[in-house]
Amino acid sequence: MEEIKGAIALVGYGLAAIGPGIGIGIVVGNAITAMARQPEAAGMVRTTMFLGIAFTEALALIGFVLFFIA
Amino acid sequence: MEQLILAVGECDPANDIICRPENVIELFEFSDPLFTIGPLGFTRTVILIFLAMIIVVALLFFGLRGKSLVPSKFGVAIESLVVFVRDEIAIGIIGPEGIKYFPWLLSIFLFILVGNAFEVLPLINFPITSRMAIPLGLSLLTWVIFVFVGFKKNGFRYVTDLAWPTSVPLALRPLVGLIEVVSTFILRPITLAVRLFANLVAGHLMLTLLLVSGWVFMSSVGDIGLRALIGIPWYIFGLGIYMFEVVVIILQAYIFTLLSAVYVQTSVHPEH
Repeated sequence: MEEIKGAIALVGYGLAAIGPGIGIGIVVGNAITAMARQPEAAGMVRTTMFLGIAFTEALALIGFVLFFIA
Repeated sequence: MEQLILAVGECDPANDIICRPENVIELFEFSDPLFTIGPLGFTRTVILIFLAMIIVVALLFFGLRGKSLVPSKFGVAIESLVVFVRDEIAIGIIGPEGIKYFPWLLSIFLFILVGNAFEVLPLINFPITSRMAIPLGLSLLTWVIFVFVGFKKNGFRYVTDLAWPTSVPLALRPLVGLIEVVSTFILRPITLAVRLFANLVAGHLMLTLLLVSGWVFMSSVGDIGLRALIGIPWYIFGLGIYMFEVVVIILQAYIFTLLSAVYVQTSVHPEH
């Protein structure tokens, strides 16, 4: 069996991006549903959606930084 | 052109799969100063910080100067920006007492917006927020403010309520308290800084790689002939990312300010 070579940090970043990707999808999808059902609440939903995206995205960004450091 | 590429340096494509920058630490510290005044060293980043500061002050000064009945178009634009931060972020998130924090929120919003906008500004093309010192400094300022406000509003109960939350079952309290304390006092400032930093570094790297690829192909037309046309798709892709980066710039300035306001709000009303 040949030696496996490559940048393990790349694989790590790829793994780190899976969870936040799914999470942001759920956040935005539900926000769209909420906005479609109650267009008058769109402003409030949008602010909360950005907050949710920001919190979810943090994990992916930590993975991105660790990719450089590792 | 070589200074533009972060990853330039010793790299052996036969053995290394990817060429990482040789010294990542340079993203976290200031490089050698261009000139010094007394004990202060001035690098390009420091000069751009002062430029951003001057631009912010000039925008506000010239935008809000005239007290005429019909403001100019520029004045309306600046005023809508200021009113947006006041109504949507300061008062909208923190509540009526948020007006106290409005000058600070407006300052960081405009400074980050201008600092980020340097990324797509021709001839500068370097976001100052992609040096770790600046997002870290701004997020530590946020940290100091929300911890100070928390202690001022709630006294020492600010920490004990976080570490021993009475609203959860007794068996879970140590675990939830530990998570709360770590996420509030350690993870909040780190993620706040890293979010801004990583978004801007990623955008800067992407623009650099795509546009420099286009430039390298197009400029070597003498050597490789018609194959230099490969550079055109790189340019098109790079300019598409350029538009995307404009959105990222505005969104990241907004999110940094929004999260700062949310953190202060959780200190003002800890029961939520």
